[in-house]
Amino acid sequence: MADYPQYSGLQQSFQPLEIQDTALKPARSEAAKTTLPQPGRPVPSRAYPGALIVVEGTDGSGKSTQLYLLKRWLEIGGYRLHFTEWNSSPLVRSATRRGKQKRLLTPTTFSLLHASDFADRCERQIMPLLQGDYLVLADRYIYTAFARDAARGCSHRWLRNLYRFAPVPDITFYFRAPLDVAVHRILSGRPKLKFYEAGMDLGLSYDRAESFKLFQARILEEYDKMVDTDNFVVLDGTLPVNKLQKQMRDIVASRIDLKRFAPRSQEAE
Amino acid sequence: MPDREKDSLTSPVIPPESAPAAKPASPEQEDSQFFYGEPLVGLDPGELNGTMIVVEGLDGSGRSTQIALLQEWLESEGFAVQTSGLRRSNLVGRDIDELLAKNAVTRLTLALMYATDFFDQLEHRIVPALRSGTVVLADRFIFTLIARAAVRGINRDYLTGLYAMALRPHLTFWLNVRPETAFAREFKKAQAISYWEAGRDMSLSHDLYWSFVRYQTMIKREFEVMAKKNSFIELDGEASVSTVNKQLRQRIGEQLGIRSSKFTPSSALAHLWR
Repeated sequence: MADYPQYSGLQQSFQPLEIQDTALKPARSEAAKTTLPQPGRPVPSRAYPGALIVVEGTDGSGKSTQLYLLKRWLEIGGYRLHFTEWNSSPLVRSATRRGKQKRLLTPTTFSLLHASDFADRCERQIMPLLQGDYLVLADRYIYTAFARDAARGCSHRWLRNLYRFAPVPDITFYFRAPLDVAVHRILSGRPKLKFYEAGMDLGLSYDRAESFKLFQARILEEYDKMVDTDNFVVLDGTLPVNKLQKQMRDIVASRIDLKRFAPRSQEAE
Repeated sequence: MPDREKDSLTSPVIPPESAPAAKPASPEQEDSQFFYGEPLVGLDPGELNGTMIVVEGLDGSGRSTQIALLQEWLESEGFAVQTSGLRRSNLVGRDIDELLAKNAVTRLTLALMYATDFFDQLEHRIVPALRSGTVVLADRFIFTLIARAAVRGINRDYLTGLYAMALRPHLTFWLNVRPETAFAREFKKAQAISYWEAGRDMSLSHDLYWSFVRYQTMIKREFEVMAKKNSFIELDGEASVSTVNKQLRQRIGEQLGIRSSKFTPSSALAHLWR
């Protein structure tokens, strides 16, 4: 690396910031496992005061409903929070639509387009808000990309590198529902599955429902592999909604110092 | 929902032993001659029989001029030619143009949009051309993209990992010019210097000239480092168009087995031949 030019002396106002996988990392050493090992680079302590809560799971696992209820609970309590959703940045919306309509997307470009979307939300919302002492709730996070894109054939190593700028969540809830339950929830509620949603680009089956099922099976397999390596909190997606929500709230309250994010009046009490 | 369909849903699904996982025993050794790091999903490099030629260099180094001339020369010699360049993908080319115009994008997002643009062109333009034995002339390649992101502070390992599935070109030319020369050429072209080619997002100087020179010097230094690692063929971009073109034709002629290196541009391109 010594032969690379150094820019810091060029002008005072320009401070090149290295985007490091270890730059934004929660304090708990448990989470340290999730990042790529970087030889010779010390793991810094927590770099931001906010907290990040993430929900993951296959389509139809119930995660969005649960995160919505968690958000309502925190909103009603007056906590300082921000909610962000996978694939929602206006920046790449037109490109994603075009790519899907014309079926231009390959596993690589599909992955990169979602990474661009995530980077935009990360640079503009997630990172600044974590720095600004917010509670950030994310419906799907990098693990969705790891599971989905790996199911499409992208290499794990490439994917892990691609998203290594992402802050490691404080809690990652993984809503696990058996394949048949999740698939049934989706198929019974939707008139027609979309091409990429059903994984038709993989050529697993000419039948959309069948293709969807095979694709979801691969995704579920990828998720299950991450339970230990990425410290997922596994919740049973088949439990009644209110029971599940109770579990979720208990875990959040025990793991995160919610008082930090409470309105000022409450802090004073 | 009919019972029949429900049955098929509840029946155990055996996840197909994922084909992508079954890669050759040592993918890195296997593919290193074709790719920088790892293979592109779903591509068999054995079916590529075209020739990939890259021309890299700063803004104003004469790349586009040389590529226009090379295309005409190769076509006159009977070779099919496909060109590629930055922001030319159907997928996100126009989106990047808009983002740049609005200056409404952060550095990492922009780097990833460029990567999307690159791989879309690689998979939909370059690879199909190479499959059919075409000569691909690439006006810039991953090196410009890596340099631009690296000078903005994005980790170099991150960037080389990002472009791990880029195809290795057969020839990579580097038209090396001084940033001062590049400034004069770029200014002459448009009677102005654009926000991005002056690297104004980097707050290097309020003076446009110094901003341009400092920024392009940083990019040039990145090229210098990459030149050694990636066996660039360095050409003096300060030389005349015809001199540079002759050197290019000589080297490409060797690669493609073209004996005569004589070439006079048609009247349509004569204005380039100063």
